[in-house]
Amino acid sequence: MSLAMYYFLTISAIYILMSWALYLPYRVAHLHFLTVANMLISGYLAGYLVQSLGFAFALALVAGFVAGGLVGYIVSLFIGDAPTFTVVIVGFTFIYISRTAVENIKAVGATMGMFGLPMVAGTPNMHRLTILILVYALIVVVGFLIYRFEHSRVGRAASVVFVDKDLATSMGVDIKKLGRLVQTFSSLIAGGCGVIYGFIYRSYHLDFFTFHLVGIFMTVIFVGGYTTMWGSLLAAPALYGLSLILPPAVASWRIVIYGAILIAVLVLKPEGFITRRLAYTLETTLSRWRKR
Amino acid sequence: MQVFIAQVINGLSLGSIYVLLATGFNLLLLVAMIIHFAYPQVVVFSMYIAWVVLRYTGNSIVLAVLAAILSSVLLNVISAPLFQKIMKNREEVDINTTMVMSLGIGMIITDILSHGFNKGLPIAFPPKLVGETPILRVGLISLMGGQVASLAVGVIAVSGIFLLLYKTRPGRAFRAIAEDPNGARLVGIPLLRTGLESYALSGILGGLIAVLLAMLLGYSSPGLGEQVAHKVLAVSIIAGLGNLAGGLVVGLALGIMEALVQGYISGSWSNAIAFVVMLLVILFRPRGLFGIKL
Amino acid sequence: MNKKVVVFFLVLLVSVSLVLVGCKKEKAAKVVVEEWEVPFLNSLTGAIASIGEYLQWGAERAAYEINQAGGIAGKPVKVIGVDTALEPQKGVVEMGKIVEWALVALGPVPEPVIMAAAPIAVENEMMTMTATTSLEYAEKFFPWSISWFPKTADRLPPLSRAWAEMHPDMKSVVQFVGIYGPWPGMAASHVVGIEEVGVKYLGDVEVPQDAVTFGPLVVKALDQKPDGVIISCWPDKAAKIVQELKSRGWTDMEKVLLFSSADDAALYTTGGADLNGTIIYNYINVDQDTPRWNAFKEAYQKDHNGLQPPSLSTNYYDAVYMIKRAIEETGVTGDPKKLAEERKLVAEAMLNMKNFEGLLFKWDMSNGVPTNKPGYLFQIQDGRKKLVKEIRP
Repeated sequence: MSLAMYYFLTISAIYILMSWALYLPYRVAHLHFLTVANMLISGYLAGYLVQSLGFAFALALVAGFVAGGLVGYIVSLFIGDAPTFTVVIVGFTFIYISRTAVENIKAVGATMGMFGLPMVAGTPNMHRLTILILVYALIVVVGFLIYRFEHSRVGRAASVVFVDKDLATSMGVDIKKLGRLVQTFSSLIAGGCGVIYGFIYRSYHLDFFTFHLVGIFMTVIFVGGYTTMWGSLLAAPALYGLSLILPPAVASWRIVIYGAILIAVLVLKPEGFITRRLAYTLETTLSRWRKR
Repeated sequence: MQVFIAQVINGLSLGSIYVLLATGFNLLLLVAMIIHFAYPQVVVFSMYIAWVVLRYTGNSIVLAVLAAILSSVLLNVISAPLFQKIMKNREEVDINTTMVMSLGIGMIITDILSHGFNKGLPIAFPPKLVGETPILRVGLISLMGGQVASLAVGVIAVSGIFLLLYKTRPGRAFRAIAEDPNGARLVGIPLLRTGLESYALSGILGGLIAVLLAMLLGYSSPGLGEQVAHKVLAVSIIAGLGNLAGGLVVGLALGIMEALVQGYISGSWSNAIAFVVMLLVILFRPRGLFGIKL
Repeated sequence: MNKKVVVFFLVLLVSVSLVLVGCKKEKAAKVVVEEWEVPFLNSLTGAIASIGEYLQWGAERAAYEINQAGGIAGKPVKVIGVDTALEPQKGVVEMGKIVEWALVALGPVPEPVIMAAAPIAVENEMMTMTATTSLEYAEKFFPWSISWFPKTADRLPPLSRAWAEMHPDMKSVVQFVGIYGPWPGMAASHVVGIEEVGVKYLGDVEVPQDAVTFGPLVVKALDQKPDGVIISCWPDKAAKIVQELKSRGWTDMEKVLLFSSADDAALYTTGGADLNGTIIYNYINVDQDTPRWNAFKEAYQKDHNGLQPPSLSTNYYDAVYMIKRAIEETGVTGDPKKLAEERKLVAEAMLNMKNFEGLLFKWDMSNGVPTNKPGYLFQIQDGRKKLVKEIRP
């Protein structure tokens, strides 16, 4: 596999996972931008543990997941059932706080960044293979969990919350608890992604985690489809790949192209390309085919 | 004491930027139920148009103002049907879809400015627009004409729009369409014409804000809109969505707080501290300090 | 007997000459490429597109001149701009493609992309010429990287000291510091220099990346009653700070020092005449009068509405010439089958290249670090820099 293909696959996988991390809270109509802050916090934490304290990558990865989940859980205690606006502000706040904190902490490289993170396996090829397997295994696991969530009572409850919070409350849905669950899980995924993202590059820099990332992941969800998890699976590699294959003269306008795609999809196909109906149709077709 | 006064004046100056942008933002909320996250980018685009006109007309301020207003009106009117199409529930603010739509618009505007104007470099406005000397200088206290104008116009704009929307027939018609289009139609309000007028009003305000920001800052850059967009959104939410008077108070307060943090604590922590304070406010008052006025 | 000796030596001389000529011919004949393609990982779009543009311009100008003069080892050279748009996720994919075929690469630009993509070049033992970043970034990737600047702690104190020495009455200085990349480290080095001549350092005033007004920061600085000010932040913000200083009564513009990273078109387009009198340091002397520099300057101004070439515009120009010299001295052929071996040869040639004839001065490389590069203090007047002092290490 070429290096270009390796980076394309791994970074697409991160995009998919992060889009799912945003998708999950969006099921209860929360734009949970805290996830980018989770990436940053867990990423730098893992980098510090590995480089400065000699932790093994696996332990650091676990620490990254735990840190993400913990931050997400603590924050969700306050905003589990908050209005969408509050959740948005919380996300912005944590992005600013975490960036400022890292700028001022010399132990994690401050504004210079962290260089030369060790490989996760003995040789460069093994390192890349390990990261690739890890990240796609995560996609399978997280995808499975989200799939089960969507086909569960809790998932159906989330759908009701999205449509009408008051109706959901009157049906007995505990919105706060549901909000806490999705936000915590979302932050957990984001924490792990932050760790892996840095180890793909074997370095961390503040400009790896910017508000720009928020825009990218939101575009993936809304273009792919925000009503099912499958949209992100297709939209993430497609949008990322688009920037890589456009000819140079056109590529210089790619942000305009992304913006135009986003607007066009919102206007013409508001649910995104993969709608719930389409997903349901595909699922039933697949299960009928399996039964045969 | 002199330093404190100077910082408060600096804060009011910074705050007036937030007030102006939040006022335009709130106006769109009130007349169209739109969270236009990219409203600052629209204003910055109008600043660029004003700059182009100034360059090619020998610094004609009148033409620049007209051009800024026209470009802002055009952008608003063009984007209006896009927003209206995607809003699921016209009677309520749909932060999710309108915010995402405005994100897309903001991305396009910022990139066009990076490509198509001045090779992506910042633009500077002529000194006579900005004011070459302070109108008041006492030690470290300095007051430029642009600062006074933007603060004064900010206050006037808030008052004027408040009066228009709540005390005049056209204003009530704008709000009626935003809150209940069907009901508005039933009572004989012409939807299309009134809707276009409301967007045009927002555009006029946007153009004026562009000129005021040009006077206040003296420069603009493609990324300027993005730099302030988070704070403008935060100001509106903290004040209470649609709350014009609240936006005035919170905008100025945020400006003063940022100035004092930069002046007495640290520049690098000013954003983080400002957002923490806003976060604490919103956790305890989710509907904003002054209540939602939609 | 004498005749036989003479004939013997003549034959020996002719044979040796033939061998030498034959070798040369053999070298020239061995170049297999039709064109030397040099990829340049650059930010051609995004927030620093304006900087990427003139870096690309410099590299392409060098390629143009080289081709006019016959190319590299007789073959033309082409600089291929590869846009990373300031995105590390794009940079790694592009570098992943480049390492499959390129002999040497220019860039990446800027630091986030360097950090993400340079390790790929290191792993594939390909030289990347990071000619716009500080040594502290470039050295992480030695020996597959090369620095255009000596150590910051060695490079900057003489410059700030020279500025301080210009103003013996300047007893205290405050500094505006942009919180980005290597700038805090550069700011610390400025302090070392001024303290060497007994100037008191009053402290940093941190400039946030998204600052839009500068009154609070300038009041904070002026409240400390400095005699001098150093500004180490983004060019457009540096210009606004100068304007703000003036609006609060600052008149002694010579006691305002701008650092080299602020020397960009954005500084001049934003600051205009308000910058008149300020001092800026940099590494190229725009007032030099040499045919080569005059031609470069003229061509730049023709393409850029009369603007003076920023100092970084020469870096990748020199880098392309360095590649030319390395290829010609080592006799590499561009044969894809010998890529690994030829990459090593070219890299080794560059790391310790002596007497390299840059556009504006000669310098030596020592293990990838330049030695004996001068610095200059200029005074800005009407958008132009006037040489005040040259500082040699």
